Amino acid sequence: MDKICPVRQTILFLTQLIGPQGLPDPKGRRICEQILVLAEEIAEGTAGEAHLPAIEALVKECNDAGTPEQTRQAGRIIQGLLTDHREVFVNHIQTRNCPTHDCGKLAPSPCQMACPAGIDIPTYLALIAQGKDAEAIEVIRRDNPLPWVCGLICTRPCEMMCVRARIDKAISIKFLKAFAAERAMSERAYTNPTPQPANGKKVCVVGAGPGGLSCAYYLALMGYGVRIIEALPVPGGMLMVGIPRYRLPGEVINREVAMIEDLGVDIRYNTRFGKDVTKDELDREGFEAYCIAIGAHKAWTLSIEGEKEFPKVIEAVRFLRDVALGDHHCPGKNVVVVGGGNVAIDAARTSLRLGAERVTIAYRRTRAQMPADVEEVEQAAEAGIEFSFLTIPTAIKGEGHNIHALACIKAELKAKKGANRLAPVPIEGGEFDIRADVVISAIGQYVDNEGMEAFTGIDWSRRGTIDVNHAGMETAQPGVFAAGDAVSGPATVIEAIGGGKRAADAIDRYLRGIPQPRAPRTPVRHKTEPVIEMTAHEKMTIKPPEMPMLNLYRRRTTFQQVELGYEEADVRREAARCLRCDICRRCGKCVDICRDKMGINALKLGYLDFDESGPTDFRVTAESCITCGACAANCENNALKIDEKDGRRRLLLCGTILNSQTIQYCESCGAKLGSEAYIRFIAGKTRSMTQATETRLLCNNCLRRKAAVSNAANSGALPMR
Amino acid sequence: MNQTCVKLDTGGTMSQYYLFQDTKKCIGCHTCEVVCKANKKLPPGPKLCQIIQVGPKTVGEVPRTSFIYMSCFHCENPWCVSACPTGAMQQRSKDGIVFVDQDLCVGCKTCISACPWGAPQWNQEIGKVEKCDFCMDRIDQGLAPACVTSCTTGCLKFGTVEEMTQIRRERHAASVTSFENTSF
Repeated sequence: MDKICPVRQTILFLTQLIGPQGLPDPKGRRICEQILVLAEEIAEGTAGEAHLPAIEALVKECNDAGTPEQTRQAGRIIQGLLTDHREVFVNHIQTRNCPTHDCGKLAPSPCQMACPAGIDIPTYLALIAQGKDAEAIEVIRRDNPLPWVCGLICTRPCEMMCVRARIDKAISIKFLKAFAAERAMSERAYTNPTPQPANGKKVCVVGAGPGGLSCAYYLALMGYGVRIIEALPVPGGMLMVGIPRYRLPGEVINREVAMIEDLGVDIRYNTRFGKDVTKDELDREGFEAYCIAIGAHKAWTLSIEGEKEFPKVIEAVRFLRDVALGDHHCPGKNVVVVGGGNVAIDAARTSLRLGAERVTIAYRRTRAQMPADVEEVEQAAEAGIEFSFLTIPTAIKGEGHNIHALACIKAELKAKKGANRLAPVPIEGGEFDIRADVVISAIGQYVDNEGMEAFTGIDWSRRGTIDVNHAGMETAQPGVFAAGDAVSGPATVIEAIGGGKRAADAIDRYLRGIPQPRAPRTPVRHKTEPVIEMTAHEKMTIKPPEMPMLNLYRRRTTFQQVELGYEEADVRREAARCLRCDICRRCGKCVDICRDKMGINALKLGYLDFDESGPTDFRVTAESCITCGACAANCENNALKIDEKDGRRRLLLCGTILNSQTIQYCESCGAKLGSEAYIRFIAGKTRSMTQATETRLLCNNCLRRKAAVSNAANSGALPMR
Repeated sequence: MNQTCVKLDTGGTMSQYYLFQDTKKCIGCHTCEVVCKANKKLPPGPKLCQIIQVGPKTVGEVPRTSFIYMSCFHCENPWCVSACPTGAMQQRSKDGIVFVDQDLCVGCKTCISACPWGAPQWNQEIGKVEKCDFCMDRIDQGLAPACVTSCTTGCLKFGTVEEMTQIRRERHAASVTSFENTSF
């Protein structure tokens, strides 16, 4: 291992220094022992703010007059580690998370590390399982101010990484969040944290989309006065005007935005930055920092013949925006949508709902290559939307103002040099027409930089996005930060939220004169919730709930929410299905010990292996486990535990009861002994031995006492029996 | 003359060493226990050697108590070694000392349950077994076990079988002619 966590490296170095080959002088050893205690606390997540200064003070002692050169040198090496990797040490203390997994107790859960906003997922799932919805929302909102929105439309990278998927199916993390948010909101338990007292400083955020709202929320909590400049008459940006209402009801956005406004964030609608309000005016008003979160609202054009001539060639983003703002006119009878992303699917499903008779999605690759979510594509197909794959549009045909057809050519996929994606290549003679009276282009968006001229110092990338340092989202212009699609190009809501949060943190640092971080902060582990106890059978057999859907007829005709949500009981059970990867870091030591050392092989935990997951069954453990506790004794994270309850010794893995056996007791003093299976295991091992004279079941203390008594009685006359 | 000879029950030679306790001399000061734990840096819990108080009993109208030194007998055919599934519990080939290699110990405690004399002890702090190894690191340096070195009354004696033969003979002769036939 060449790249080891610096905290772990420091601990190993200190252990060496106080070992037999270590420092010879007692003072140096004493200092190192003290530093080691502090460093281990940092690696365990129990350290506080005073730990680093305390270590540094101890290191200084190494340089006191009279200390030998060896100790001084050790002090210099430790100081070097602290200086070079200060952020890592601070991260360990503040986030209680070690991204390299070297500090076992702080190894992160894969779902949390996969989340662009770094939400502490296992913690809130445990809270939801216990029915503590408001507490779950509080945990989520430390990293994401829009849990309800994300609960309905997040692309859920967390579920991609979910370890439970190696056993059966990933936990429905996304929807559990929506359930908790809805429940907490309706019970009026969805509340804002108390913000810091106002500090009198003002920050302007351009754009009220997820990135801007997230930035504004965290700034407001830190005591800043925040104003959001929004060109549209509604909040939410693409959430409101990009995502159709049947996926995300407007009320959800409005309620969560209202929570942010409640913190004093001032949103100015119908105000275009650079036109209705200028940077100079805002500067004069006393705004000291800016966050550009204008999104990517401008559509790429198809660049084909006829595109400019016909008014019924519509950009999908404009179409969706108009529909969202209340224009519910049917675009036409025969709608062809060009593109394969979520926007294309949204435009097609929206057209269908507005009364289009035939909706076709023309995509130049195949279904497998579609960037749209699989569920979206499935739902679109269910609703009767047709797909024309391997189709490259070439021209729009028509007469006067009316379109008749979209001329296309069939394509085949071929590998192209220098590209890792198969490229569609037209097949000669493969021309065909798709009947159309409307063509909606949904082939991607880019950032509309109009109005941004006032930010003279920022750099724009080749793709037309704003260049930032991703650790702090700072642009090249001091005091100007950026987040969301404006930085990433069209991307996901959760990335925008994560970017907005980082920008808020960076703006705070900028205004307080603190240097910006060099590396993005590791996600924070807020706390470790207690595990939820259940039987191995239950843990194995809980089925992920099926999402009840609005019936097909309504899905074709109305904008009512399609996914109707789980029942409460299903939600609690589903949350409890979580394997708690924040506690078990899947090192596999337990399996190795049980199989290779003990020769019992009672643990069937194939999911622990990331690369080659084997079969998992929590239920088989009880068949051969002897509750010896070797696995638990070697579990660094206390994921596996041996406990005693109601006269039974139990083995639990993150709350799942793998085994439970009746405890036997010392027949003399009543002390607890192993289970019958355990005693039988030992008897099997010692079968060839002389039968011990003792037939009673005794604890080792009583055995020792008994031997002593017999010795005392015998020793005088008969020293050797 | 009263004494306990470590490991009386299995018969035959065990390790090539003997650890004798003269129970008549022992005053139950527990120094051996304390020094043993300090030497092995043990947390609360495990007692590799232990002075067990037996009595008081009335012997000739006088209450008498004896203090018996108990540790490991280093048996010839140790139950603990047979029971250990990992090979951590071992018998040193050159002198028969029974010891635990903690790197191999996984903390299953089978040795503790298997031993008829309660010799292996549990170290809660590290989740592994601890056991008297006659301080084999000290023996290899030509020193006596820590408990023997520190015994305040000199009732503990340690040596090789050869060295102990003479003492054993003398003590046996003395005990046969002794008026007292118990340690009380």
